[in-house]
Amino acid sequence: MTDMSTTILPPIVSAHGLKKSFGRKEVLHGLDFEIPPGRIYGVIGHNGAGKTTMLNAMLGLTNCEGTIRVLGEDPFARRAHLMENVAFISDVASLPRFLRVRELFALLSNIHPNFSQAKAQSFLEGTDLKPDLKIKHLSKGMIAQLHLAVVMAIDAKLLVLDEPTLGLDITYRKRFYRRLLEDYMTEERTLIITTHQVDEIEFMLSDIMFIRDGSMILHMQMETVNDKFTQLVVNDPAKQEPARGLGPVYEETRFGQTVMIFDGVPRSQFEGLGNISTPTLSDLFVALMQRPTANPETAK
Amino acid sequence: MKAFVALVHRELIEHRGAFLMAPLILVAVMFVPTLISFATGRVDGRFTGYLFAAAPTRIYEFGFLAFGAAWCVYLIGVLFFYAADGFSADKRNNAMLFWKSMPVSDFKMLLAKLTATLTILPATIYATALLSALLLFAIAFVSSTLGGVGGMALLGNIALVYVQIALSLALVLVIGLLWYLPFTALVGAMATVVGRWAIPLSLLLPGLVAVGEWVVLGGLSPVHTHTWRYLSYRADFQVSQGYIENWFTTEAPFSFPTFATDLIARTDWLQIGLGAVFAIVVMYLASEYRRRVNDN
Repeated sequence: MTDMSTTILPPIVSAHGLKKSFGRKEVLHGLDFEIPPGRIYGVIGHNGAGKTTMLNAMLGLTNCEGTIRVLGEDPFARRAHLMENVAFISDVASLPRFLRVRELFALLSNIHPNFSQAKAQSFLEGTDLKPDLKIKHLSKGMIAQLHLAVVMAIDAKLLVLDEPTLGLDITYRKRFYRRLLEDYMTEERTLIITTHQVDEIEFMLSDIMFIRDGSMILHMQMETVNDKFTQLVVNDPAKQEPARGLGPVYEETRFGQTVMIFDGVPRSQFEGLGNISTPTLSDLFVALMQRPTANPETAK
Repeated sequence: MKAFVALVHRELIEHRGAFLMAPLILVAVMFVPTLISFATGRVDGRFTGYLFAAAPTRIYEFGFLAFGAAWCVYLIGVLFFYAADGFSADKRNNAMLFWKSMPVSDFKMLLAKLTATLTILPATIYATALLSALLLFAIAFVSSTLGGVGGMALLGNIALVYVQIALSLALVLVIGLLWYLPFTALVGAMATVVGRWAIPLSLLLPGLVAVGEWVVLGGLSPVHTHTWRYLSYRADFQVSQGYIENWFTTEAPFSFPTFATDLIARTDWLQIGLGAVFAIVVMYLASEYRRRVNDN
């Protein structure tokens, strides 16, 4: 067994000066980041922020300026080879609809060297997905289950999920992520997820990336987020001004209470001002997306 | 190789309607009226008269050749629409990103589609042609036997006819598909870029190139240009000339060895080689486009 504390493992993904333009519009402005193995990353940003473009660059689906390496390889030049160790779901509706479930599994067994038909079938046990069903006759939730079973049956080092639960109801979403954590994740695997339902995946993330307008404004381990950011709820109007004096990065009023989010302010300074807690990812996202200056940091 | 074969196979699964189900339905549709026409005496089951006396197996030869020609026309039609549709099907079916998540290059993916046009797709039509001829032969033989002119000798002869024409049809398909390969590849490559617009564009493109040459280099008209003459030559697969043309005027039984020798000798193999190179090049160019575009 590898001793993780003494061995420095090469990053799964490394990007330096990653830029991408569509016509004259630059959508990625020179991203620099590294993703170590065994982590679960949440990539969060507005629509059009550049998340999917960044993921596409990782998956070799688009050519970019700068340097990007996934498992040590140039993904655009070596996509086909890379896909032996990378699995992704870009859209749950992208499974070939003309196939039956068993035909899909049979094809994948021949096409993908790391796909296990037995594993895929075992993931579908206890579901309504039967081998003879045609994919085009499945509901969106069933297609998501099937797609998840397919990617989980691929022995990959990196799994990328771009809005994997878009359009699914909450039951399917919860089941999707629970299955992923229980049946797939190991410390050798790395998972990158983008979703707008931030709060639903917060519990499983080890690291987060916030992207705004093609720039990375936050790249941090979740433990560091807990240490660095503080949410203060001020009930007493008289204490609002002293709290503001500590320099909140965000402030709003909720049901008559003033909620402030602070970046890097020691928690001891909030004593007596109100209730303190760690902001949820969605609160932090809203706060940082409105902050005028970017403050990217590299995950330690 | 296993992955490549699987990708070729998936083309049949995806397009089994045009290449498997529709031909089988056509056979069923043809079988019933053929059966009725023999059973009701609309076709003379005794095959009496000059034709039967001079060449008792000729009805079988004509019948199979006519069926073979009809199936070839069907094949040309469905292959054209397959190339214009199948090469862009992943994009249209919203499945492009799924296939791109597989460890298969875009070039290999398109090459599998092109290979399908040369192998598994025409093979299913060929199998259907054999089946339809077998049914025709069975009906004709039973009918003539009931009419008192059948027998084991005739059965042996028509079995020989069946094998000779089946082999000839296979050879025509192989050489014909290779002859038209650059056209199939070009339509497929255009479909990769413009989707189903490849259907009108592939019909328009030769005319546009000829007009371009006429405008630049001059001449009597666009149909008197080098482009037009070359495309006319490449579009014409002269299978019905040579041996077949002569055979129709004689009473000799159809001979596969003679037909094959004649067809192979008359085929312009240099053009087939050039066409194959052209097909590979346009597939590569189309794959480079597909590699850069992720429209799902």
